[in-house]
Amino acid sequence: MQTTVNRLPRNLIIVIALGVLVLVASSMIPAGFFTWLWDRLNVFATVFLGIFVEAVPYLLLGTFASGLVEVFVDRDQMSKWVSNRPAAAAVSGAFMGMLFPVCECGVVPLTRRLFRKGLPLSAGISFLLAAPVLNPIVIFSTASAFGWGQMLFWRFAVSLVIAVVVGLIFSVEQDAGNILRPVLSDHEHDHIHAVAGDSATEKVRKALLITVDEFFDMGRYLILGSMLSAGLQTFIPQSALLAVGSGPILSVLVMLLLAILLSICSTVDSFVALGFVNTFSFGSILSFLVFGPMVDIKSVMMYLQVFKRRAVFYIVVIPFMMSLLTGLIFNYLVR
Amino acid sequence: MPTRMIRSFQGLLLLGLSIFFAAKAANGQLTWYINARFVPLTIFGIVFLAVLAQTVFTDIRRSRKQEQEDHDHDHHHEHEHAPASGNLWVMLVPLAIGILIPARPLDSAAFSTKGFSTSAPLISSDSSARIFETESEERNILDWLKLFNFEEDVTQFVGQSASVVGFVYFNDDLEADQFYVSRFVVSCCAADGFAIAMPVQWGEALTLEQDSWVLVKGSIESITLDGNRVPMIVAESVQSVPAPDQPYLFP
Repeated sequence: MQTTVNRLPRNLIIVIALGVLVLVASSMIPAGFFTWLWDRLNVFATVFLGIFVEAVPYLLLGTFASGLVEVFVDRDQMSKWVSNRPAAAAVSGAFMGMLFPVCECGVVPLTRRLFRKGLPLSAGISFLLAAPVLNPIVIFSTASAFGWGQMLFWRFAVSLVIAVVVGLIFSVEQDAGNILRPVLSDHEHDHIHAVAGDSATEKVRKALLITVDEFFDMGRYLILGSMLSAGLQTFIPQSALLAVGSGPILSVLVMLLLAILLSICSTVDSFVALGFVNTFSFGSILSFLVFGPMVDIKSVMMYLQVFKRRAVFYIVVIPFMMSLLTGLIFNYLVR
Repeated sequence: MPTRMIRSFQGLLLLGLSIFFAAKAANGQLTWYINARFVPLTIFGIVFLAVLAQTVFTDIRRSRKQEQEDHDHDHHHEHEHAPASGNLWVMLVPLAIGILIPARPLDSAAFSTKGFSTSAPLISSDSSARIFETESEERNILDWLKLFNFEEDVTQFVGQSASVVGFVYFNDDLEADQFYVSRFVVSCCAADGFAIAMPVQWGEALTLEQDSWVLVKGSIESITLDGNRVPMIVAESVQSVPAPDQPYLFP
């Protein structure tokens, strides 16, 4: 009893002391600080919502594709379609993007679903890395930015090589359980099973429910990733990054970092890359266009949901090294 | 959280997102965030989110009905299974940011991190011929910068009359009677937005306010800024105008 009586005034004193401290501190803050903070907050909100609004339709399409695969494709069909030999599987996985035109937001849930339908690891990994580039939409948008020329050709050739190589590396691992995270949904949410006798509408209804679950499951990583990216863009001046970026090695590194930082959708990144044509070498822009669709802040967030940490490490680092190498080869040898 | 509550929460969030996007589309603010070319995609998103919400609500109703007659048959079990629970709250973040922070397109506040440029590359699908054919007074800031960036001989443009809309930006590297008229160029979404600017010479430049929107009319002059040829407008008039519906230019 006594302690409560004693504590009350003490709390009051602390509150008053804190209040005074805040007042003193705020009077010491330069006058422009709050407008500065408010401006930063506004830029953050606009950039964040920009990425989010842009990405949501693609995420919806990707999760819906995943829902449809769950209900309409069964494991037997999958093994008929995709070869079990690693090389063939990796190559065919890389080209599957031509059938499922998804960008890097949509590809993650779809890949996870395909794995559960028995897609071989090598095919899934190369699909994951290649599909955001090797698809009709991105071919068209790259062509309309750079024309039907070298940039287009090398972008697709290099992406294909990297995707297949990483796919093959993963095919060494026989046990998918070492690569994929145990799908928590096995117990928690994936109980919306297709039943053989379901009518088409019933199947679509189930596909939609799966879409909902996956949209929330992946959406939260999209949101965290977009916030991180928007935050970095709000506080780190791009000019500082670009100022560092001359020289054949640094320019490639800067463009790779920018690809991670910007987190823009692969369907339009070529228009953004175009803005750097005057200041950056062919090799560094090529590496931006190859690496950006494979790895950026938001896609890494989503990868962590599907793969174990060690696997994500390889999925990020191998393409990084290979893109860097590509940039350097072009900077030193070709130009 | 019980399954049905999670489902209801999901349904409400989907509906909320759909309404939020629809409101942005209705008041024209979508293009403050994304390139106008992607608006149809967002419209699809609005419809699809609403369809998903409807599916979820129907599912709740069905599971409630099923529960009542569940004692004798139990084959489907859909209602028992908790969907991915927990972090639904994260979905509230974009709604909160969109509602609590007043919408404001990118402006000179973003210059400190995004920087701005007085030149712009020509993309291969637009020919300089198209910009040439455009009446000089119809060209926007982006067109002018592209022309100056692309053409070898820019003297042909000197003296042409120009009429461009943009917001005012003051910068130390200009004279007292000069200011920049600026626009953001957005290819995809606000994340890739970058500012472009044309210097303007005008005797009453100091009466203008930073970030206010103006219509600048005058004639083109070629000047050198940081070693680049840049088009400058020698202004005959500078009128203040309301902010355009689409604050950005789309390449």
